[in-house]
Amino acid sequence: MSFTAGTWTSGPGGDQAARTARLMVYGLLATILMVLDYRGGYVSEIRSRTAVVVEPMLLAVEAPFALGRRLGEELRSRHELQDRIALLEQQLRGLEAELIMLEEFESENAELRRLLEASRRVEVAYRAAELMSIDLNPYSHRVLINRGRRDGLEEGQPVIDAEGVIGQVDQVARNSAHVILISDPDHALPVRVRRTDLRTVAYGTGQINSLRLTDLPMNVDLEPGDVLITSGLGGLFPPGLPVAEVREVTRRSGEPFARADARPLGRLDRARHVLVVAAQAADDELAAEQPLDDDGTEPVAEQAEGEP
Amino acid sequence: MSRPMPVSKVMLLSLLGALVLTLMPLPDELAPARPYWVALVVIYWNLEAGRLRHLGQAFGLGLLLDLLTGTLLGQHALSLIVISYLTERFRNRLRFFPPWQQAAAVMALLFNDRIVQLWVIGLTDDAWPHWSWWLAPLIGMILWPWLFLLLDRLRQLERLQKT
Repeated sequence: MSFTAGTWTSGPGGDQAARTARLMVYGLLATILMVLDYRGGYVSEIRSRTAVVVEPMLLAVEAPFALGRRLGEELRSRHELQDRIALLEQQLRGLEAELIMLEEFESENAELRRLLEASRRVEVAYRAAELMSIDLNPYSHRVLINRGRRDGLEEGQPVIDAEGVIGQVDQVARNSAHVILISDPDHALPVRVRRTDLRTVAYGTGQINSLRLTDLPMNVDLEPGDVLITSGLGGLFPPGLPVAEVREVTRRSGEPFARADARPLGRLDRARHVLVVAAQAADDELAAEQPLDDDGTEPVAEQAEGEP
Repeated sequence: MSRPMPVSKVMLLSLLGALVLTLMPLPDELAPARPYWVALVVIYWNLEAGRLRHLGQAFGLGLLLDLLTGTLLGQHALSLIVISYLTERFRNRLRFFPPWQQAAAVMALLFNDRIVQLWVIGLTDDAWPHWSWWLAPLIGMILWPWLFLLLDRLRQLERLQKT
């Protein structure tokens, strides 16, 4: 096999020096970009501009895999499908029964609130979304969902699955959006301990299966198994969504504060169908009662079968 | 110094293929060990065809990769310019290595790149990568000869078509 002669004759010393200089310049440029990106997201402008180019590429890569998944579902046997329908119907009946009870509670709750003259509970509307199957960098703690600006998504909206909070909408393109997971080291979430009403903040650790609570008083009443829910402070997350379960509390002597390690309840790595908490229609019964979505009613119970 | 070369379809296709393979869904256990496809393709075109030798091209590709994978902007750019620089530096030696020796050299390049990226990951306070992350250079080495043969064959076909 003959090699085509290189386009440049790689000259001796001089060429090399120029190349080294260029390496320095580009290296510096890359470092500056990284610093700007890391410290305060000065480049989010760049990201949102380039989304026009990047998004179609992502969608193009996604398409065949989505098709494959669809085909896999088509090929599933009739028998299996019937079994699943039966199972889902059963679940649906159970949930409906629960819902009737909850409606009862809701009216009772409204009554009590009126008596107490408390403000009305914040009403929340959900929008179903599906995770796209393409893999982003596993260390970025971000996932892509198949809803975007066109569906009314906005930055900062909470994303949950059937088990709990999984993240927050980070960057919105036309038909897709990046979701930053609560396990991202940059993510902090105001939470409340359900049992004791203690308010604190849960930080991401960079590990998909762990959150960190720091700055707890040494005599804090916290035990493994306590459930953390969103406190609603900060205004982005509605209060009361389950977040995590405390796994371990460490009180190291010599340190001023206790720390705790918690396991997120939402299935950060396995959820396929998620819900974006789309709008908080605070004092508007009408807006809350009309579902925002017409096609976004995918059953959440389906989550159990997702990725292998 | 450089005269413009006609755009090679095979090159564009291989780059596109590398990007697709980078984004392709993998099971969670395997995802960290995903070979660095773009780097492999860039090394190939530099060594064998003398293309993609400009650091600017490596930088641009890296930025594209960062945007696509949602990485810290500049991380892949930095890693690719280092790879491109080192490949160019040792080009004359690497080209005439026997295939398995060349594969070992490629592994060394990729391993060095892991260290560069680990530096960035460490600075940005992310968690330490999973151990299988270090498998990626090894997988890259195993893939290298086959990628080499495949791209060589495609390039030959393209040349035959032109004449």
